[in-house]
Amino acid sequence: MNPTVLAAMVASLDRRESVALLSVTEAGGSFAPALGNHVVLWLDPARPPVGDLGLAELGAGDLVPTIYHDARRALAEREHRHLTYTRADGVLKVFVEVQAQPPQLIIVGAGHIAVPLASIAALCDFEVTVLDDRPQYAHPARFPTAKRVIAGPFRAELRTLRGDRGFDNHTYIVLVTRGHQHDVECLLEVLDDPLAYIGMIGSQRRIRAVFELLEREQGIAPEKFDRIHAPIGLDINAHTPAEIAVCIMAEIINVMRKGPAIPMSEQIRRERQARRQRVAAS
Amino acid sequence: MSATIYHHLQRLVDQGLTVAVATITDVKGSVPREVGAKMIIHPLGAHIGTVGGGCGEADVIRAGLDVIQDGKPRNVFVDLTEDISMQSLGVCGGIMNVFIEACRKEDA
Repeated sequence: MNPTVLAAMVASLDRRESVALLSVTEAGGSFAPALGNHVVLWLDPARPPVGDLGLAELGAGDLVPTIYHDARRALAEREHRHLTYTRADGVLKVFVEVQAQPPQLIIVGAGHIAVPLASIAALCDFEVTVLDDRPQYAHPARFPTAKRVIAGPFRAELRTLRGDRGFDNHTYIVLVTRGHQHDVECLLEVLDDPLAYIGMIGSQRRIRAVFELLEREQGIAPEKFDRIHAPIGLDINAHTPAEIAVCIMAEIINVMRKGPAIPMSEQIRRERQARRQRVAAS
Repeated sequence: MSATIYHHLQRLVDQGLTVAVATITDVKGSVPREVGAKMIIHPLGAHIGTVGGGCGEADVIRAGLDVIQDGKPRNVFVDLTEDISMQSLGVCGGIMNVFIEACRKEDA
């Protein structure tokens, strides 16, 4: 890897950009001199890539747009890919390593569960934000691995966060405030955002009652609650705050990696969907 | 981790060292780490990161030291499918391909 390519990668990572590093890992036949060549590129096709695959000199410059296109698609899909291009005069393999912006986890409520959850999430390479309206809890000293620790009113701060980085499909929100009324207040704020995950703490009984209350009193469509992970987490019979943090993080990883585990919220979701079908049928 | 391995790389290269970088490019079956996992092989053994540890990683480190010597990129095929009853310690059940290349300051 040459210094220019390395410097471009480091600079891009420092700016928290999504970036792809292309490496020629196999170069058969006439492609042989390209082995080990690199290019750094970004999603925006207008931004010039750094480095050179060295294919033009080998009479295969026409392959470059295809490779860049395939690499940008891998970057958009946040997935490393080993691409193979077969030509009559040789086989070329290009490894596309994706360095996407890390997923962000917003922990609303800076209490007992938030402390271990913030550190576990940071270990799992999440960019962690902690929010609470109590400055003595939402204090950087309690959350040394968090990227941001915000003390302020819940809804207003959530709106600011949305404006700063945006709530996208790589944003995970966990609602673990000290009181259910705050969880619900925040839930209503983010209910329509295109988030990867919303989890809310609470017992099955409590969650059922809360959803019904919101449907009745606020006129919210029942389907909107289908994607809420509440009760939060995977059932591993967690007891202590740290164990509960592990069960929440396990659920988040399960969502992110499209794992097979069945979340604790599944039972309520099924019950509610079955009831809606019964109502619709009658 | 993989996001900061470039910072380590930059630091080592700035010190004038030649190191090797190993990247898992393909996996099949059960292997200890995922595609994209990276490791820096340091000429004096101060390696950074892991491609899964054990005998497979030892093979990668040996190949990495060769790459540091001759500067030629290469692929190492790590086979962890041997029978559990055998002497080998690498029995995850899968195979992986690891691409290894050199990284140095004056490299063009």
